[in-house]
Amino acid sequence: MTFEDIFEPIEVISHFRDGQLKPLRFKWNGRVYKIKQLNGHWVSHQGYNKQHHYSVISDSSDYFELQFDSSDFQWQVARVCLDG
Amino acid sequence: MNGRFKTIFHIDADAFFASVEQGFNPLLRGKPVIVGGKPDQRGVVHTASYEARARGICTGMPLVKAKALCPQAVFLKGDYEHYRAVSQIFQEIYLRFTPKVEFTSLDDAYLDLTGALHLYPSAEWVGRAIMREVEKRTGVSISVGIGSGKAIARIASSLKKPRGLVRVPPGKERAFLADLPVDVLPGIGRMAKERLTDLHIFKVGELAALPRLIPEQLFGKNGKTLWELANGIDPREVKRRTIPRQISRETSFEEDTADMRLIKGTLQYLTERIAKKLREQELTCRTLAVKIRYSDFRRHARSQSLDAPSNDAGQLFRQAEAIFDALRLRRVRIRHVGVAASHIEPARYQQFLFKESLRQESLNSAVDEIRRRFGFMALLPADTLELRCKYRMDRHGYILHNPALTR
Repeated sequence: MTFEDIFEPIEVISHFRDGQLKPLRFKWNGRVYKIKQLNGHWVSHQGYNKQHHYSVISDSSDYFELQFDSSDFQWQVARVCLDG
Repeated sequence: MNGRFKTIFHIDADAFFASVEQGFNPLLRGKPVIVGGKPDQRGVVHTASYEARARGICTGMPLVKAKALCPQAVFLKGDYEHYRAVSQIFQEIYLRFTPKVEFTSLDDAYLDLTGALHLYPSAEWVGRAIMREVEKRTGVSISVGIGSGKAIARIASSLKKPRGLVRVPPGKERAFLADLPVDVLPGIGRMAKERLTDLHIFKVGELAALPRLIPEQLFGKNGKTLWELANGIDPREVKRRTIPRQISRETSFEEDTADMRLIKGTLQYLTERIAKKLREQELTCRTLAVKIRYSDFRRHARSQSLDAPSNDAGQLFRQAEAIFDALRLRRVRIRHVGVAASHIEPARYQQFLFKESLRQESLNSAVDEIRRRFGFMALLPADTLELRCKYRMDRHGYILHNPALTR
């Protein structure tokens, strides 16, 4: 099992509620991944801006780390786990 | 509650970095995880999960050796920002139980519950509540030690890892320590242990039974403290703010190098990070040290005192550069460099006689403000841009060879 840094922009459908942001689906490389499980969420600070990191498992049982940058409202796939 | 005794907690995360990775990624749970770098990179194991430890992996082991011992392990380079974010969650949880918390590193802390314990059913209840809350929110398991002093609590927390909770009842400190090996006491390293072994002193109880003069004669002024700790006496307070003894930053190069621009650029970058840390905490240092390790693994280190305490990056780098020039006498490639600031003290603000110092201080304040708003990489000394050819960068800084170690 290896992890690869990706840092590529993605489109995400997410849910905002009670000040919380939760990604539901994302499109990467033309494929839509449904988020089956949200493992955890953490925030790193970059100056005044916050970066929200989400550790998720997709419906294909792959692991992804998604990143939401509050300064430009951009989502990225930060890391993926390559099984094997 | 017995009014004479304090109630101190020591909380330590179990295999912290590896636990964080496993906590946030269910695919890693139950697998041997090694944080430190990829196995084909040079470097050492920074943290190994308990599954990896069971296969003989330990902290400090070269990654290549770890791969040979445990080829099925998952090797991760680590993410300091992630660990810091998780540490913030720990802090939030601890501060809900008591305001007297001393954070000694990302993953361990002392809590003084002496004044707050009447709010809860018992000390063990608090310990279990903290363990549950931390595990629920981060997936990281912690071990808790409870005692009447910091040393007792720290020793207790290390006895039943992982997920251990050990409480030493007040007044039972001597009995608790008596059968433990002497090197559990803070301050007993390899040399001190050897000297005690020569005297046939193997257990803390044997050290405690000596007349106090003997440890004093053996270890000087530290001997008195050791004797007191062996007898369960530890009057140290839990301090909300502690002044670190040393702040250091170091890194290995991807490959051994003799490129002086790269080496000095790296030294300047590391010094810049130290200066930022000092100013953030309103501290200054009086001494700066530089260490280098050559490709043949020989190492050299030298320190020098500054003319006056400082937290100015320019001044610190000039000193570091002078030390490096005096230190580097061999024509051999370098694999590792490090900078350390010591004799750290609170910054004292006073009226300056000369305008130059005032200008420098204003400039530093402006730099700090810009970095607070836009991140560390918003402003960098031009010489450190040399590192862009070698390292990837994000807005937190250059991603150095061993980022988990170098912050």
